[in-house]
Amino acid sequence: MEYSMNQLPQAINSDAKTQSSENQNSEVVSDNSGGQTLDSENVDSNTLAAVLQFLQKHNLKGTADALKKEARLKEDQLRDAQALQVDSEATNLLSSYKSEGDPNAYEKAYLSYRRFVESSLDVYKHELSLVLYPLFVHMYLEMIYNNHENEASKFMERFSIDQEDYYQEDLKKVSFITKKEHMKGSDLMENFKSSQFTVRMSRDTYSVLKRFLQDKNQSIVMNVIQEHLYVDMYEGVPRNKAQVESTAGAMEGEANRQVNKTKIYYGLLKEPDIQLSVVEEEEDGEPGEGGEKPKKKKPKKDPLLNKKAKSDPNAPPASRLPLPDLRDIDKLEKVRALREASKRVALGPDSLPSICFYTMLNCAETVTCVEFCEDSSLLAAGFSDSILKVWSLVPQKLRAMKPAEQLADIDKEAEDVLVRMMDDKTGETMKVLYGHCGPVYSASFSHDRTLLLSSSEDATIRLWSLQTWTCLVVYKGHIYPVWDVRFSPHGYYFSSVGHDRTARLWATDHHQPLRIFAGHYSDVDVVQFHPNSNYVATGSSDRSVRLWDCVSGNCVRLMTGHKGTVSALCFSTDGRFLASGGADQKVLLWDLAHGHLLADLPGHTMTISSLAFSRDGTVFATSSLDGSIQLWDFFRMTDESSLEDVNISGHNPDLLKRSNVIESLRLARYPTKATPVMSLHFTRRNLLLAAGMFEG
Amino acid sequence: MSEYEATGSLNLPTESMKIMAESVGVAGLSDSAAKELADEINFRLKTVIQDATKFMHHGKRKRLSTMDIDHALKIKNIEPLYGFSNQDHIPFRFASGGGRELHFLEDKELDIADIIGGSLPKLPLDVALRAHWLSIDGIQPAVPENPPSLSKDQQRLESSDPVSKLAKIGDKTQKKSTTLTATNKPKTETVQVKQLTAHELSVEQQLYYKEITEACVGSDEARRAEAFQSLASDPGLHQMLPRLCTFIAEGVRVNVVQNNLAPLIYLMRMVKALLSNQTLYLEKYLHELVPAVTSCMVSKQLCLRPEVDNHWALRDFSSRLIAQICKNYHTTTNNCQTRVTRLFCRALANDKMPLASFYGALVGLSELGTEVIKAFIIPKIRAIGERIEPYLDGTGQANADRIAASHIKQLTIKVMVPILKVTRQPPDNVDDYRQEFGYLGPALHGAVNRARSQTTTTASSGVISSAAAGSLGLSAGRGTIVMGGASGSATTSRNQSSVVANAASNPTKYMFVTSRPSTPVQVTAPQTTQVVKLVSGAGQASKQTVMATNQPKYVMVNSSQIVRAPIKMEGAEGTSEVKMESSVVIKTENITILDD
Repeated sequence: MEYSMNQLPQAINSDAKTQSSENQNSEVVSDNSGGQTLDSENVDSNTLAAVLQFLQKHNLKGTADALKKEARLKEDQLRDAQALQVDSEATNLLSSYKSEGDPNAYEKAYLSYRRFVESSLDVYKHELSLVLYPLFVHMYLEMIYNNHENEASKFMERFSIDQEDYYQEDLKKVSFITKKEHMKGSDLMENFKSSQFTVRMSRDTYSVLKRFLQDKNQSIVMNVIQEHLYVDMYEGVPRNKAQVESTAGAMEGEANRQVNKTKIYYGLLKEPDIQLSVVEEEEDGEPGEGGEKPKKKKPKKDPLLNKKAKSDPNAPPASRLPLPDLRDIDKLEKVRALREASKRVALGPDSLPSICFYTMLNCAETVTCVEFCEDSSLLAAGFSDSILKVWSLVPQKLRAMKPAEQLADIDKEAEDVLVRMMDDKTGETMKVLYGHCGPVYSASFSHDRTLLLSSSEDATIRLWSLQTWTCLVVYKGHIYPVWDVRFSPHGYYFSSVGHDRTARLWATDHHQPLRIFAGHYSDVDVVQFHPNSNYVATGSSDRSVRLWDCVSGNCVRLMTGHKGTVSALCFSTDGRFLASGGADQKVLLWDLAHGHLLADLPGHTMTISSLAFSRDGTVFATSSLDGSIQLWDFFRMTDESSLEDVNISGHNPDLLKRSNVIESLRLARYPTKATPVMSLHFTRRNLLLAAGMFEG
Repeated sequence: MSEYEATGSLNLPTESMKIMAESVGVAGLSDSAAKELADEINFRLKTVIQDATKFMHHGKRKRLSTMDIDHALKIKNIEPLYGFSNQDHIPFRFASGGGRELHFLEDKELDIADIIGGSLPKLPLDVALRAHWLSIDGIQPAVPENPPSLSKDQQRLESSDPVSKLAKIGDKTQKKSTTLTATNKPKTETVQVKQLTAHELSVEQQLYYKEITEACVGSDEARRAEAFQSLASDPGLHQMLPRLCTFIAEGVRVNVVQNNLAPLIYLMRMVKALLSNQTLYLEKYLHELVPAVTSCMVSKQLCLRPEVDNHWALRDFSSRLIAQICKNYHTTTNNCQTRVTRLFCRALANDKMPLASFYGALVGLSELGTEVIKAFIIPKIRAIGERIEPYLDGTGQANADRIAASHIKQLTIKVMVPILKVTRQPPDNVDDYRQEFGYLGPALHGAVNRARSQTTTTASSGVISSAAAGSLGLSAGRGTIVMGGASGSATTSRNQSSVVANAASNPTKYMFVTSRPSTPVQVTAPQTTQVVKLVSGAGQASKQTVMATNQPKYVMVNSSQIVRAPIKMEGAEGTSEVKMESSVVIKTENITILDD
């Protein structure tokens, strides 16, 4: 009960943001319950009451009545719930910060806890020190709440420098709040108030902490810990400093181990059989092409390709997420991809990839995103002046479809109908797409190169046709800027994230989202589809990475360890690992099977902008706005991090942190002259493409 | 700005609130109300700016723009401030005074007629996409699009501490082996020992080398200019440095013997181009460059007709190169400057030295800075005078020798005057000068007097003393320079009047300079900046410091000399028509020399 009470205001808050109009209301509710209808027994009457209250507050009478009717709630029942609700909200908003008579007591209490941490045994020290930051913030807020402004600012001044570096930015925001009235509108405040800060501790550490609290009669510290902290206790040896630091730093504390228990299907989907036969057919059909020997090709095939053909034990059932059927054109594309893949260069420490760098000139500080398409033939760039440009990177020009009357004349049975329907007169190497009315923050090509998605500050997502070069659909759902949008590797689905703290799953033929993933505590900045399309990973300004199940809509992994906004995500080729880069200049590597941190790759000096795995999964490339690209030996990285030796208690296994090992994993570093690298992409033949805008 | 942020104390004061209130017609805002308002507005502003940074980050920018603020206001459901958007960054200007600091925006008044009547602004260039290879099979090619493959710092580190490179390689192999054992992989001991072979040049590099060397010494002047430009600016030349330096050294050796002035000039200009290339660190190649350059200074004959050809310009030019080399690459390990200085001193002390070589040694020393001049030339002035006296006065001497002697005399006066002017207190007495400097005394006296009459500002003297103190300290720190034995014997000076006349007639070419200091504002402004820059800079700059602060016109004189030198060089092999044209080109070059 206590838990749900705490969560309610948060739920309302996130709802308030997601609801721009009445008609979205039902969708939110249904999403929270994973697609169930309203009359389901599961709908908590409290939740309903909260929704109703929100509706009443915003004068949405019609919806409120409809909801009441639909939920078949009796009025008295409602009133009860409402009373309870009002009551609980009041207590939550107001009395969670009880008044302590003497503002100086806080300082004393904080000092005594700090002394306790400093004097405790080294074994416990690091885990105990995790409490310092939430304790500090809550004490500060309590002081503000009780109108001890001067004492609060002194308190802030004196102790804020004690806190870890990665909390300083948040502390700055907290320190803006100098009045009780400010607390109301602040997002950060609401996070602190409504959520519990998770601190992971061993049982021994916890008992040390308990003893301290009881012995010293630390009522203030005790209060904060009881009200606002969730202690995630585990059996075993307390962690050392490096271990503690590796996962600390997120806005909501460390990841709760319970969250990461769900099994996830990280394997790749079985490739449809049809393609192999098509391959053979094609090869038979064109035996003379390029003088290749088609017969030799089959035994030579990559082990990775073979593995794909076998069914992966970790792969999701094919029927788990309905995927669009393969069209003929998709099959042809797959054949092309396979043929290209057979010409792939095997990469490794001794054969590094070549890097082709596309520099955008005459556009300093106006390019907001750059994106390559899967087969590396197209490049899209979004600009801060709302336009979107698409370049062709191959000799073929970008052509538009013929007008309707001419299309009617074309023989639809012809072999080359796809070629014939394009108008050669419109051929250009670059086309501009106009439509957005705000900076375009991301773009994503569909796998068949016929569609392009873009997201913008104007809170819309647009779907463009790359055949007619027009906008097809405007998806309105986010009401704040959309930071990132990404097509599923299988097409049809796409996912977007934005300032409204949600990630959304869409299908191209629905104007409303299929799923809304709510749970991040701040802007969601980046999204990435799992190669099997069943999962979506999001990175947020709350410094955590989450993995969401597209089918159930649940958060199945929560990974903390970044010390700054997460700015780039990438799944490994085999789907098992997730790499994330952040504004903290770190690249972290996660094992999705357990949500563990495997490696922390240093070396960049600015925000990480892009990550890419080579097609054969051996080399891992990272790029940063500092204008450098680094290559890492991913094969050895996963080889050495003892994957099988997984600690059941849920610790992270020892990080590959020893600096000499990490240094030896770095294969190369390439600086540019004055071009922040914005995007990386491995072609099918393992050539690395990179793009950025020249700032010289 | 950042320090304010760190403390979080950047707040709008209540006074600003009151002023703003007045501007919208609310008079007499009470203190407490203003305070409340200020607090509230501070909070709002800070949250808006925090949100604006999100837009900045997503725009992949490092600077906040006005558009970011607009967007941040928009998500807060506040009407943006229309009309304040700006494509460029706001050029805030900074002013401080009376203990207050202020950032403000310069609001220029524009004349509408100018806008209407003016030509249309140029269309901005369209966005262009350009591809290049950042890496080919793991190796970054040295193309202009890529940064220099080996940074200057790294080159410096490797030349000063070759062990570091070895250590790095060793480290790598060691790392490899440890990680191999860690994984228990079947390992084979394949430690590759790098052979000490000459680095193979790629085909492109060979082609480049051939083109460059041909262009540098060839007859096509336009191509030569391009080649020098390439040498001076292209990154990634360090792999070819050993070859280029050998080319220069060999070229000088051959051409000095054959007295080919023109190729020597070209080779020296090559050295200069390499010196001015920001990406190169030449320390490893000094053993080839220094002898080559010194040969061009002190060789007894550099051209076929010493009386006619202006080999003096080459000597001057080379001496400046040597000075620059010493300045850039002198370290305590190579003792470059000390060794060069000792070499020249020995040459000066040698009585049998031909006059041309004597001149070379003298000009070399004089370029090395005030301290060197004070320590090594001043004690020798008497000896120099003795040396040249017979050639200037006597009859029946070879014409070449007389020219050489007069060059030496001019040089001595030019070098000595700025120093004597500072070190000696007025009034100047001709007899004192004669006593001290022998034959050259009267000439020096006349020149110093003239120089004194031209200096006007007294403020400069204060600056000079501080600069001199700074350079003194630097030289004391080095302390390795040993005084060359100076022998001065009394000489009688005859023909005094003619010397003065000579000195008086000489400065005609300085004419345009003399007017300079008469505008004191102009003089003082550059002086201060010069001093700050040079005192904080390397010790070798000391000579320039004094020159610049003491007598700005002498810097100009100096430059006019530099200007003159290459003109004569061109003239030496070209026709007199070329002279005028090339002088312009070279003048621009000179500006860079001075800026260095």
